[in-house]
Amino acid sequence: MRMTYLWLLQLVTGVLILVLIGISLILTHIPVILGFFGVDTAELISSGSVADRANPGIWAGLAVFLVAIILYHALSGLRNTLVELVPSVNKMRIITWIIIVSGIILLMGITYVPVILLSS
Amino acid sequence: MKQIRPRQNLLGPGGWIWAGKYRLERYLYFIHRITGLGLLLLFLIYLVTMAIFQIQGRDAWGATLALVHNQWFGIVVVVFIYHGLNGLRLTLQETGFTLGRPTPPIYPYQDSLRKKRLLTIVMTAMIVLLALFFLFIYFVVGVW
Repeated sequence: MRMTYLWLLQLVTGVLILVLIGISLILTHIPVILGFFGVDTAELISSGSVADRANPGIWAGLAVFLVAIILYHALSGLRNTLVELVPSVNKMRIITWIIIVSGIILLMGITYVPVILLSS
Repeated sequence: MKQIRPRQNLLGPGGWIWAGKYRLERYLYFIHRITGLGLLLLFLIYLVTMAIFQIQGRDAWGATLALVHNQWFGIVVVVFIYHGLNGLRLTLQETGFTLGRPTPPIYPYQDSLRKKRLLTIVMTAMIVLLALFFLFIYFVVGVW
């Protein structure tokens, strides 16, 4: 049953990533597409613009949330692939724990960056 | 008591490509898995570079962007589009929303996926159209 919930979370995070990254792709490509038609727009991904968007807490929180769900989706997918290749319960446990620990370390690193940005 | 050991039927990654008569959906899933592993690798590289450069300061931001601000990033966009839309199809089919009604197993048999193959075709067409659009933007227009 636990595996079913983990897989359900994999599907839900997948759809969330598709929606959120889709929005991000559209936003960052609007200047490109409009530029193609001769419309000049402000640069959305300049360092100042990105930092300004990262400054309000809600945007930093959203960025961390997005990265966290991408991390879950990616590492869970990697675990599913590895577990399929190594059909042994003991090895599966080792793989799962290695992935959980690396995920926690990466998430801590990711959260640290917006904290640095917010405090600067 | 004699312990019965299950027959080992592990083909490894080779089995992803060929283990009998695979259909279109199986190969779409194989590409889905490969693109997923590629995106994971890219995501880890992205996280590390972003973390290093953001901590170093805003002046170093341009150097980070130079890594992704070239026409080859179009390939990453196409890979993401494939993985995202094919993943959406897999989700819809796995949760049962787009599978056909159960039917009696009467010859010629038809599996549940191929009852709704239109969804696969439509989703693949959308992927191809979006991929062509972004490849055009990146490689032909060359706006980056």
